[in-house]
Amino acid sequence: MTAIGFDPLLPWPVIATVALLALVVALWSWWRGLRGWALRGLAGLAAAAALAGPALETGIRETLSDILLLIDDRSASQSLPGRAAQVDAALARLESQALALPGTEIRRVTLGDDPDGSLLGTAITKALAAEPQTRVAGIIAVSDGLTHDPAMIPADAPAPVHLLLTGRPEDWDRRLVIEEAPAYGLIDQPISIRVRIEDQGRVPEAIASAPARLHISIDGEDLRSLDLPPDVSLDIPVVPRHAGQNVVSIGFDAPQADIPELTDRNNAAALQIQGVRDRLRVLLVSGEPHPGERTWRNLLKSDANLDLIHFTILRPPDKMDAVPVDEMSLIAFPTQELFLERIRDFDLIIFDRYRVRGILMPQYFDNIRRYVEEGGAVLVSAGPEMSTVESLNLSPLGTILPGRPTGRIYEEPYLPRLSPEGERHPVTAGLSGAPREGEASHWGRWLRMSQVIPEPGAQVVLTGAEGQPLLILDRVGKGRVAMLNSDQVWLWGRGFEGGGPQLELLRRIAHWSMKEPDLEEEALLADVAEGLAVTITRRSMSPEARPVRITRPDGQTDTVELAPAGPGRFTARWTAPGAGLYRMTDGEISRVMALGPAAPREFEETVASGDLLAPLAEKTRGAVLNLSQGIPDLRAVREGRQAHGKGISRNWIAITPRGATSTTGMTHRPLLPGWAWLVLVAGLALAGWLAEGRSLRLRRG
Amino acid sequence: MIVKALLAVLGLGLGAAAQAQEPPDPRLVTAADEVALAYVVTGEGPVDTASEAGLRGISQVLTDRTTVEPGAPIGIRLDQDDLSLLTFLYWPVTESQPMPSPQAYLRLNRFLRSGGMILFDTRDGDIAGLGGPDGTEALRRLAAPLDVPPLAPVPADHVLTRSFYLLQDFPGRYGGREIWAEAPASAEEAAEGAPFRKLNDGVTPVIIGGNAWAEAWAIGENGLPLYSVGSGLDGENQREMSYRFGVNLIMYVLTGNYKSDQVHVPALLERLRREEVMQ
Repeated sequence: MTAIGFDPLLPWPVIATVALLALVVALWSWWRGLRGWALRGLAGLAAAAALAGPALETGIRETLSDILLLIDDRSASQSLPGRAAQVDAALARLESQALALPGTEIRRVTLGDDPDGSLLGTAITKALAAEPQTRVAGIIAVSDGLTHDPAMIPADAPAPVHLLLTGRPEDWDRRLVIEEAPAYGLIDQPISIRVRIEDQGRVPEAIASAPARLHISIDGEDLRSLDLPPDVSLDIPVVPRHAGQNVVSIGFDAPQADIPELTDRNNAAALQIQGVRDRLRVLLVSGEPHPGERTWRNLLKSDANLDLIHFTILRPPDKMDAVPVDEMSLIAFPTQELFLERIRDFDLIIFDRYRVRGILMPQYFDNIRRYVEEGGAVLVSAGPEMSTVESLNLSPLGTILPGRPTGRIYEEPYLPRLSPEGERHPVTAGLSGAPREGEASHWGRWLRMSQVIPEPGAQVVLTGAEGQPLLILDRVGKGRVAMLNSDQVWLWGRGFEGGGPQLELLRRIAHWSMKEPDLEEEALLADVAEGLAVTITRRSMSPEARPVRITRPDGQTDTVELAPAGPGRFTARWTAPGAGLYRMTDGEISRVMALGPAAPREFEETVASGDLLAPLAEKTRGAVLNLSQGIPDLRAVREGRQAHGKGISRNWIAITPRGATSTTGMTHRPLLPGWAWLVLVAGLALAGWLAEGRSLRLRRG
Repeated sequence: MIVKALLAVLGLGLGAAAQAQEPPDPRLVTAADEVALAYVVTGEGPVDTASEAGLRGISQVLTDRTTVEPGAPIGIRLDQDDLSLLTFLYWPVTESQPMPSPQAYLRLNRFLRSGGMILFDTRDGDIAGLGGPDGTEALRRLAAPLDVPPLAPVPADHVLTRSFYLLQDFPGRYGGREIWAEAPASAEEAAEGAPFRKLNDGVTPVIIGGNAWAEAWAIGENGLPLYSVGSGLDGENQREMSYRFGVNLIMYVLTGNYKSDQVHVPALLERLRREEVMQ
């Protein structure tokens, strides 16, 4: 690169003035008929040019090497048998050939696993962005071509893009496709999961026509097995049985053939379906209006997901006044409908200071007893009436109550305390402000309770006056019964002596009764924090926990010891070796946990295919070749030429040397040295003077 | 005196533990156990007597007619007594009543926030609104430090009109004056706050009126009314209506919006029936 530059000695206006003066002088001389007018003018202009300092500028340039981008796909799908060796061989050969080409540098980009699969498109885009566009001479990707980011594949590239596909021509695979699976399901309501079997690659004839044997299990229990032919969508009904996570695993046996399928890792999927309750329905039966009644209402009505049917006895049958019925606002309650016909629609029945006074018939109570035994829940919040002849205990419901009243009522202030069982039980464990040794401040006292002898097997979690049971929890058949032997929990809400966590306690009792998974006393929990790290928590009423045995997807087992972490809690941290379905058990409780994606994305499709990258290769005159047909030679061709072809023995692919240069410096040489300018200007002036002088002399002669 | 002050300081220093050791006032314990109604002792003999007799009268009516069987009413000295064991407080407003201490207002505000209710009675239903002196000024003075929500006249469909009896008005010894309670939430607020129901389920913490209810309810030792209400049969009718208001009021205090929710019960049952058909 050469150019003329100026390095003016004086500011440009001055130089312009000099040039202008030269022209004016030349014009004046011409008008006067002086013969040397042209020379005079030239001399002036030459002086102006000398002042402008013209210089010759020359760049110093250097040729740059060409860059070959080698993309080395080491994602999990490349770990299938034979593929890693193919990649190694191809890269080694390409590298040695590329080094033999003059002025070629190699940039190797290794592509690993990403949670979103293999991101080949992103890798290409990033590698291109990191290099100067004018130096990239070729891009060669050694991959199975299965990328999960087709949108990131660039539309064009400055040099040929070649894709060398791993895999063998006889590769085939059968996989399970989950077409549709809900993340949530109502408990006991069937939901459907739509699945399909898909064959890819060169499937052997015998397999292609044979259906796959599907096995479906929920929470590790086999649900059913069925045959499903390929490419047929099937809706599998599944019923979540409990709140929280229901792990559904679906899989089929690997088909038997001479050439085995590429992988069996895409033959199964584990889905987590969150079981959610429909709206909870609670029936609250208040025996009489009392200050604690609004406490219950505040609790139950603050939950938007709860339908409350409340029923208060405002007037007992034995009291009458002379007021006409149409001036009263009393409604007869549909007791028969509620307690006989619809009782199973309720998730919880609360008896709040209920006294048996002939409003509910004995067969209703009998029905409630059956309802509990079949899985219902009853919560009794008992006032002093529990110790009287109108006690619920004397109704047919008495057989399932977790305590027998003795008839004694403590009318003295007492402090509710957690029993040793209560320290561990999720209903009471961790209630804020619980009285503890050595802590001065704690929740307030209550003033009245009934003495009750707990049934054997029932859990006393709170104690009151003289250490007598205050809150008793029990299981009856499939159902649950909770009994609070005082009606004064409202004192906590009122802030008497500082109050206490009344809403939280009542909420927990109610939800424990309704089998809320978070409040189960015996539970084995797995919290998947991030990736494959799992916090295993065992909640238990027993003082120690047994080690947890974890069965990996491949059948190996790990044993994890749990360390105590507070009353009734034992925890351990454990990291799974890989994604998949893990079973854990401590001998009593078993749990299934699905780690990682439902089916590893890498193995969704495994048969190598260049379809996604083919448009880019075609546009840049590159090639998509199978490595199973041999590793191609690497050549160099001119830009714009076809960059692949067939050689004598094997195919070839090419890079296009770009001949890029960079300017590393600049020389600046004045056009003429100063003395030459002086000679030029002086010479021109002298020549003009001589010419004019001679003409004068001629005229005179 | 000094010993007492020292003890108080010690008590404060030891905090709640020391406090919890003190036996609670046995009157208040009984009140908590028996849902006793309470009134504010004003220091004016005749007014306090009327309050006591009035609450005794309405307690008797409740016991005769409903499941609620309140114990003997108790008088509350705001400057001393703990309110956390009470549910209902009748507060007759008098001109000469001294302002309760700031600590008393703290207790009152906590009482209102945690679900208690105060019935303010200016007992001026006969003279109010005529332009002369009435109880408004005293009420304003006494109630100013309280955290009272925006108030509005009780609408015709308020749950107070049907918590036990169906009522059109709320007479006491005087009648015909409207009473005030917490203003219903505007439609906008109600829609915005629908999933987050209000504290205490939207039950008003105060009711304000001037109908001298205690005097209408009051009975003497012999069980006969102490004060005349109106004249003749109309008067007795008005007394009966004041009893009904009392019953409704206590039912509202204890059961909150129970009666207004009952409207929804048939709809809920209908839904259960429909779901059964669907299954």
